[in-house]
Amino acid sequence: MNPIGAEPYIVLSMVLFLMGALGVLMRRNAILLFMSVELMLNSANLALVAFAREWGQVNGHIFVFFVMTVAAAEVAIGLALIVNIFRERQSINIDDLQQMHG
Amino acid sequence: MEWLFLVVSFVAVLAAGMMLTRQNAVHSALFLIVNFGCVAFLYLMLDAPFLAMVQVTVYTGAIMVLFLFVIMLLGAETTTDTSGRMRWLGFVGTGVAILLLMIFAFPLASNMLTDEPVEQPDAQARIRVINAIPGGEAQTFTVMDMGRAMTLEDTVRGNVLLDPVSEATEDLRLEGMIYDYGREAAQEYVEVAAGDYTFIVGVGAGDFESAPIYSASLALAPESAHSVLFYENAEGMVDVAVLEDDINAPAVGKMRLSLINAVTDKQVSLVDVGQYTTRGTLCDDSACGSLIPHRVLIEQLPVGAHVGLELEAGTYNLAFVDEDQNILRTLADYPAERGLIETRVLVREPGVPGSQHSYRAAVFNAIGAPAFGSPESVGQVLFIEYVLPVMLVGMLLLVALIGVIVLARPDALAQAERRRINRRRRVNRPLVSVISQQTGSNVLSGDYRAKLTGGADDPAGE
Repeated sequence: MNPIGAEPYIVLSMVLFLMGALGVLMRRNAILLFMSVELMLNSANLALVAFAREWGQVNGHIFVFFVMTVAAAEVAIGLALIVNIFRERQSINIDDLQQMHG
Repeated sequence: MEWLFLVVSFVAVLAAGMMLTRQNAVHSALFLIVNFGCVAFLYLMLDAPFLAMVQVTVYTGAIMVLFLFVIMLLGAETTTDTSGRMRWLGFVGTGVAILLLMIFAFPLASNMLTDEPVEQPDAQARIRVINAIPGGEAQTFTVMDMGRAMTLEDTVRGNVLLDPVSEATEDLRLEGMIYDYGREAAQEYVEVAAGDYTFIVGVGAGDFESAPIYSASLALAPESAHSVLFYENAEGMVDVAVLEDDINAPAVGKMRLSLINAVTDKQVSLVDVGQYTTRGTLCDDSACGSLIPHRVLIEQLPVGAHVGLELEAGTYNLAFVDEDQNILRTLADYPAERGLIETRVLVREPGVPGSQHSYRAAVFNAIGAPAFGSPESVGQVLFIEYVLPVMLVGMLLLVALIGVIVLARPDALAQAERRRINRRRRVNRPLVSVISQQTGSNVLSGDYRAKLTGGADDPAGE
């Protein structure tokens, strides 16, 4: 029914993952950093779903669920941290967070 | 399909790129929502409709709203990136990213043209027994597996593959089965490992290996379903037919009706008569001027044969007719529900010969595997095979919830503020409070003094 194999989806997920990784490396805004991490998680999910379809196994979908749950937990904690950091330092630029620099 | 994928993936990559390059964090978040929406669409294309909905609700709904909320709360829309000393990292990262793409993605992309079929993993086959012997003395049948023909011949030999079938199922009772001589019964499908089987069938549950009434070799393909049908042949003897069932989900908006003819010496057709009809003779339009207008759905099904058709959802008046266009049985106001898979076995009921009630269309619902990626299939796997991980993830969410409460509790801010004030007070503590503390004299009003000595958290006093 679906003439498209898994490969295009894998390539797309690679591209998105690399864009997310670039975002983590290049952006200094902590919120944007988080968004880039979400992008990476999402691209990994896309690859999982593509593989699940390819192998006819629904387990990939289950794993996507767990990834989504972990992402939600991570975002909640991370944003709470960002809010606290912003309250203390009036900045969420991660270059300003160097008190553990040694 | 391909152009759809190309368009959606292009939008996804474009949105991701815009998200990375916008200076305004709100714009970035909005572009990320577009990207997530595209990914949800791709999930739909990948036969994962439930995940697509979860993606929309959880990611674009909950998580991104949280992001936007925090951005707005902090007023951090335009927090700019420092053009700091780590700027070179960006260029290195871009280079590495493009390199990785070259190494991994481009070979994959070139492989798309030479698409090789992927071998499916080992799977189960399903088999069930339908006992369509009309009336008579109670008979039970046993299907015995004589061993996987290839490998396990000695160890599995003689194992009972299917339990004896002797009583009507729930479905039959719901059908209005008040006759206790009816022996039509079907088992639920049982799952067996796919492979080649040699099985024998005998009357009764006992020792019949010396005189089986039927024996056959059967190759059960993975994900296939078979019905072993018992029916009466023209000589009044028990006959066995092994029929392959189609348990794949029917096309969207349709139901699949499988018809098995177990009526001896009749070839049965299934027609849609359009209006409510109980008995009579159908007439060919050209021959005698359309006594009952009808539409033939299944034509001339011989005994022991099996055919399936897909019906648009809706209500039908169906009739089973024999070769002479006599109506054997009608299914008035037959509701064709979308997605349903149903097997009807037309059997003769003993007694009252000739009348319309002497035939019955026993119904067996095929319990097909839920469609891949549907909420049913995901839920089944999630809450049966993965119950423990689900619990653990629930615990994780609980811990995250508590963590957020701890992090965001109001006195976290107050403590930080107090620390800062304490640090400052050490430097320029007002002289008057030092004197008053050391001498114990009450130069200040009691109220203010208590504040200074006790809390020391009001910098407005200095």
